[in-house]
Amino acid sequence: MRNNKHIFIVVMLIIISIALISFFGINAGPIQIKGMQNIRFGIDIRGGVEAIFEPKDLDRLPTDTELESARIIMESRLDAQNILDREITIDKNNGQILIRFPWKSGEIDFNPQKAIAELGETARLTFRDPDGNILVEGKDVKESIVQMDSKTNQPVVTLAFNDEGAKLFADATEKLVGQRLSIYMDETLLSSPNVNEKISGGEAIISNMNSIEEAKNLSEKINSGALPFSLVTKNHSTITPTLGGGALDVMIKAGIIAFLFVCLFMLIYYRILGVVACFALLLQMSVQLLALSIPQITLTLPGIAGIILSIGMGVDANVIISERIKEEIRGGKSLGSSIDTGYHKAFSAVFDGNITCIATSIILMIFGTGSMLSFAYTLMIGCILNFISGVTASRIMTKSLSKNDMFRKKSLYGVKEAI
Amino acid sequence: MIKFYEKRKIFFAISLTIMLIGIVSIFINGVNLSIQFKGGAIIKYTFTGDLDLEAVSDTASTVLNRNTEVQITEDLATKTKKIALNLSGNSGLDANEQEKLDAALKAKFASANLQLSESNVVQPFIGKRFMINGMIAIVLSAVFIILYVGFRFKKISGVSAGVIGLIALFHDCLIVFFTFTLFKIPINDSFIAVTLTIIGYSINDTIVIYDRIRENAPLYTKKPYEQLINDSINQTLARSINTSVATTASILIVCIFAFIYNIDSIKTFAFPMLLGIISGCYSTVCLAGPMMVMWHKKKEKLAA
Repeated sequence: MRNNKHIFIVVMLIIISIALISFFGINAGPIQIKGMQNIRFGIDIRGGVEAIFEPKDLDRLPTDTELESARIIMESRLDAQNILDREITIDKNNGQILIRFPWKSGEIDFNPQKAIAELGETARLTFRDPDGNILVEGKDVKESIVQMDSKTNQPVVTLAFNDEGAKLFADATEKLVGQRLSIYMDETLLSSPNVNEKISGGEAIISNMNSIEEAKNLSEKINSGALPFSLVTKNHSTITPTLGGGALDVMIKAGIIAFLFVCLFMLIYYRILGVVACFALLLQMSVQLLALSIPQITLTLPGIAGIILSIGMGVDANVIISERIKEEIRGGKSLGSSIDTGYHKAFSAVFDGNITCIATSIILMIFGTGSMLSFAYTLMIGCILNFISGVTASRIMTKSLSKNDMFRKKSLYGVKEAI
Repeated sequence: MIKFYEKRKIFFAISLTIMLIGIVSIFINGVNLSIQFKGGAIIKYTFTGDLDLEAVSDTASTVLNRNTEVQITEDLATKTKKIALNLSGNSGLDANEQEKLDAALKAKFASANLQLSESNVVQPFIGKRFMINGMIAIVLSAVFIILYVGFRFKKISGVSAGVIGLIALFHDCLIVFFTFTLFKIPINDSFIAVTLTIIGYSINDTIVIYDRIRENAPLYTKKPYEQLINDSINQTLARSINTSVATTASILIVCIFAFIYNIDSIKTFAFPMLLGIISGCYSTVCLAGPMMVMWHKKKEKLAA
């Protein structure tokens, strides 16, 4: 078993490279791995706005289609404000729309209240002539759908108006034959089709669509302009980036110091087993960061609590195992068999402790809401990693280290040599 | 070698005293739900120079037609001054109205350089939903853990292991809860996060000791039960202490930083967690073990 002797070097190098990747990421052409600096932080950490919108003066739950229309309005308004890094979630059971977006540092003139107040206003869909006069409004539109033109086999958007709308639309198209009729959502131009003839039947067709997606997009926006209610939010919070960023800096500083303290403590107390423990914890923490940064899962303050808990469990796994090995050495066993029995006997305690945590986090994922989900996610990943880093990786390192003559002295395992 | 069972009365007395202090704190301070759960509106601004708090409160009350309490806070590390507007009642606040308030305050107190720092506006029914979901999560995870412990430790009498584990969990959750009431920290979602974390730590501590009892039980069939428990606790004591030192110190570091930089969101979460972790270790070592012996003796007596 000579080749086993140096495996610890390989494992440690792998751990160091994973740690480096998780801290700095990889940015090499086709291989892109997002590192720690690209973790998506919740607004409680980096600052931002969170608001729950609900329909105003509506005595029933909004339908799925209405909620979808409302979401489209919000999306296009956020686009118009150049807020691209946002999350919009529809809660169908409660008929609500949840919006979160960050408040970027440097945006001093940004007024979050105004932004969310404007988001909820009724979308104003208007049909205007080239001079900007409003001829027909969104409330006069009954429905818009996408169809395929049987002659040209091209997608088209059809519009159906109500009686009032049909009359207004006929007047408008009569006046504008040969000119363009522009369709606006709020102040954003959606489409500007040419009027070929007077349209009096209350139904119109917009052709010249480049793709079915474009047609669908336009049709959805027209429908959302016909949404029969406005949205209000009486449930919103904002936090400035300075305050949020301050919290993040403090957490990072405190985290680094706490990690160094734990490493130092383990090194002094468990010597060689402490070195192994430090590498195991480094592996656990790095993979945990990657599990957040690669799929871009939002990390909130409770999420950090989850990381703290799982790293605590990681420390515990190492402590339990190291204590067990010391006990076996003290009991007079050889180093190799002490390590084997130590891992073997410690496993059931580590297993039970981590399995309960994993199960708890699954329960939380099912029943939890909002920021609790972040806690459940980090806790679950951390506890799963405990098996990989705290048990498997650390056993490989310990076994391999113990095969080297210079690491065989019992004092190196925190046990006083028998006199 | 510490005789945990023989010293049980001291430990029970300590825990009871803490519980009593906690209960008294509820009578004195009340249970303060944060607006996150009960609904309401708090808006905070940073400012420079001097501000007439009464004038601010009057302006806000006039604009919103709702009584407003204004408080001033100062951050020691950065020397920034803040006012917190606390709107009466539990209802939320329309974003449009908040915008009006913002404009009115900035116009009237132009020289104070008011900048919105944070706002938290919650409608009561949404807050209630959050709280109920959180409580369901806490109860369900506790129930699951107890069932699991009961199942895994059948050998050392699953029912007693489960029930005593539950008592230890309940003890630690109460410590967390009393930390909130004693220090007048409003109960918010960090309470849920901390409680869940403490449940995790506490049960983990308990499992480690049960695990040792399970392992030792076959070797102790001829010896008194309290010796099995005392030996098992003592054999795992180094682990209990070392893990607690490492985790407590880590949270303590986070806590110290949060206090130095005066970051509320971290303070209200790291501090209760610190006390909860200490309690988690204490309840397992000093309470769960002796209770196991008491349960066992009672059973023997009933059988005889």
